[in-house]
Amino acid sequence: MISESPHRVAVTAFGVISPLGRGGRETAEALRSGRDCVTPVMAERFDVSRCRAKTAGQVRAETPAATSDRTRKLHPASAMMMAATLELVASDPGFTPELMVIGTTSGGMSYGEAFLRAQYGPTRARDRAAWVANYMPQKAVLDAQAAGGFVCASQIIANACASGTNAIGHAFQLIRAGHQRRVLCGGYDAISELVFVGFDSLQAATSELTRPFDRNRTGLVLGEGAALLALEEFESAQRRGAPILAEITGYGISTDNHHLTQPHPSGIGPRQAMERALHDARRRPDEIDYINAHGTATAFNDATEGLAIAEVFGGKVAVSSTKSMMGHSLGAAGAIEAVFSILALREQFLPPNINYEVADPAWSLNIVANEARESRLRCIVSNSFGFGGTNASVIIEKAA
Amino acid sequence: MTACIAGMGWVTPLGTGLETVWERLERGDKPELASVTNSGTGRCHPCFLVPPKAVEYLARNPRLRRSSAISYYAVAAGLAALEQAGVAPGSEAAAETAVIFAISNGGVLYTRRFFEQIVQHGANGASPMLFPETVYNAPASHLAALLGINGASYTLVGDSSVGITALHFAAQLLALGSVAQCVVVGAEECDWIVCEAYRTWRFARTPLAEGAAAVVLRREGQWKLRAHPGAPFAKQSGAAAALESVIRDLDVPRSPHVIVSSANGTFVDRAESGVLDARFPDAARLYPKRTFGEAPGASALQQTVLATLALQHGRGSCALVPVVGVNHQASAAWIEAS
Repeated sequence: MISESPHRVAVTAFGVISPLGRGGRETAEALRSGRDCVTPVMAERFDVSRCRAKTAGQVRAETPAATSDRTRKLHPASAMMMAATLELVASDPGFTPELMVIGTTSGGMSYGEAFLRAQYGPTRARDRAAWVANYMPQKAVLDAQAAGGFVCASQIIANACASGTNAIGHAFQLIRAGHQRRVLCGGYDAISELVFVGFDSLQAATSELTRPFDRNRTGLVLGEGAALLALEEFESAQRRGAPILAEITGYGISTDNHHLTQPHPSGIGPRQAMERALHDARRRPDEIDYINAHGTATAFNDATEGLAIAEVFGGKVAVSSTKSMMGHSLGAAGAIEAVFSILALREQFLPPNINYEVADPAWSLNIVANEARESRLRCIVSNSFGFGGTNASVIIEKAA
Repeated sequence: MTACIAGMGWVTPLGTGLETVWERLERGDKPELASVTNSGTGRCHPCFLVPPKAVEYLARNPRLRRSSAISYYAVAAGLAALEQAGVAPGSEAAAETAVIFAISNGGVLYTRRFFEQIVQHGANGASPMLFPETVYNAPASHLAALLGINGASYTLVGDSSVGITALHFAAQLLALGSVAQCVVVGAEECDWIVCEAYRTWRFARTPLAEGAAAVVLRREGQWKLRAHPGAPFAKQSGAAAALESVIRDLDVPRSPHVIVSSANGTFVDRAESGVLDARFPDAARLYPKRTFGEAPGASALQQTVLATLALQHGRGSCALVPVVGVNHQASAAWIEAS
């Protein structure tokens, strides 16, 4: 049971790598400048000539973490997780996690693809074994532990595109209830051909610019990356003099049973997740300054999320989808966007929703259109929704 | 983390139904060894498959009409466990239920078929009907929909220890007070690509298998279950030490009457027996993977169901379920009469 006086939950450090950059400084600069980091899919990745979509938000594989012989064999997902871990550990060397809670949708899927292709042609047995060993979702988590120099149990949540936010939310609940003191949480995903073609086949991916919440939106662009957050019981963090970057104060989860891939048109799933997060944080809707929306730019997602935001918050709260700049990084998205929210709190600005031209008349929202805005921010909602009808929202606040 | 077992269900190569399968195990029945064939090389792999008749009644359900075998197994096991716990789909009790799903290889039949279509016919030749079912949380989503759950649903992924991780996760949710019960389901379907992977990795000493198992956990009940969060190991040589630390952390009050082993013919056997022989030399041991095969997403929960059934059939008052996974964690659960 949750104790009578729940513990406050501090974020003492983060690590992030995404198409917007590596680390907090680069990422904040990209967010502030509204940089469009979506580019044509690199030729060395896979062939997109027979796909409608041709672009993605991509992370350069040459991360510093992938320079040794051992790490060169790792999947790019591991390299990204290691890079995020190293940044986090450098920011708060005193943070030693008791548990990792990590979201992902596909682990090292591209190595699974390579293994399947190898069944139809000659390949070295050594390569096949390496693909299998590095394909599984737990591998990137163990590689992150090795990079960070710690060992702990891990829970790997695969709740589709809500995974990263679910991971943060579950970690938050455990600390608040006093069951854990320090949890490393976040998410990762690397672009793979299977997933790229999958969204393309569903006609959820666009061949144009991705335009979240725009009336003329035509679909999502895929992205990739990793982000980790160090969550710690507030007083414990204070006692050891750790930096306190923000607080997590609420979490809401809901399941919409309408359809495996489509949300209920009423927006009940997102609405319940946001309402439950507000209730959990004991916050009123008018206390929220900014919503980092899921905002995939698909017709269905934005229609239901826009409707739900308008119903719960009205049209005043600032809303943007940062996926407009880097695409949708699936299981990493919730964690990356939580880091974006912390950067927004720290630097007091609203990240923009780029490529926004025409308001959708279906709702009235205060979209942070195309350019970042300076703003006094104290309380942010970050949303993630996914296949399977899974919806999650977290509330992130400026540390008092 | 402690919780209590309120219901169980399983789908195994020996059939479904707790008592039916228990009796068959008691008789020493073995499932028929089937095989799956690599469509590229023609190589056959032995495996244990679930008899199609066991879940064919679910095919009429509109929600499942396009789903893969893993969802059928998961739903069948989950609904059986909930029925035993007295939770009817769509009821008020169902609304207070969380789904915690353990998965290892996931919907691999559709995943392999979808990617094969890309390889053979190009990106525009891949069927959009297949892709949604490749997502790890598709089976959990189907189960939640059939139950009418609108709250928590989590899918956890890992090696064959993931079932214990899911039990621990469910116990965490119960301790948080946010749900009345959790249905914890683990499932696996069999495809030649997974068999190839395990063969490449030299882990195919026990035939791979398909099936599912489900356990409903509540705060109170006749059988108390304590699940460990898991101890990771990066190399096989570290597996025994990881399991040793798990058993130490679990702080078991006495030697178990029954141990339901995760032995599968690989390094796991040596790691597990080394620890258990030294600590609990007199405990009776059951080896379900010798009969059911290795179904990584389902195995730990099948072990848990078997351990509880053994206690219910008078084999003692406490049982240990140790699991050494292949590349993630070692873990264990302790089950005893409340």
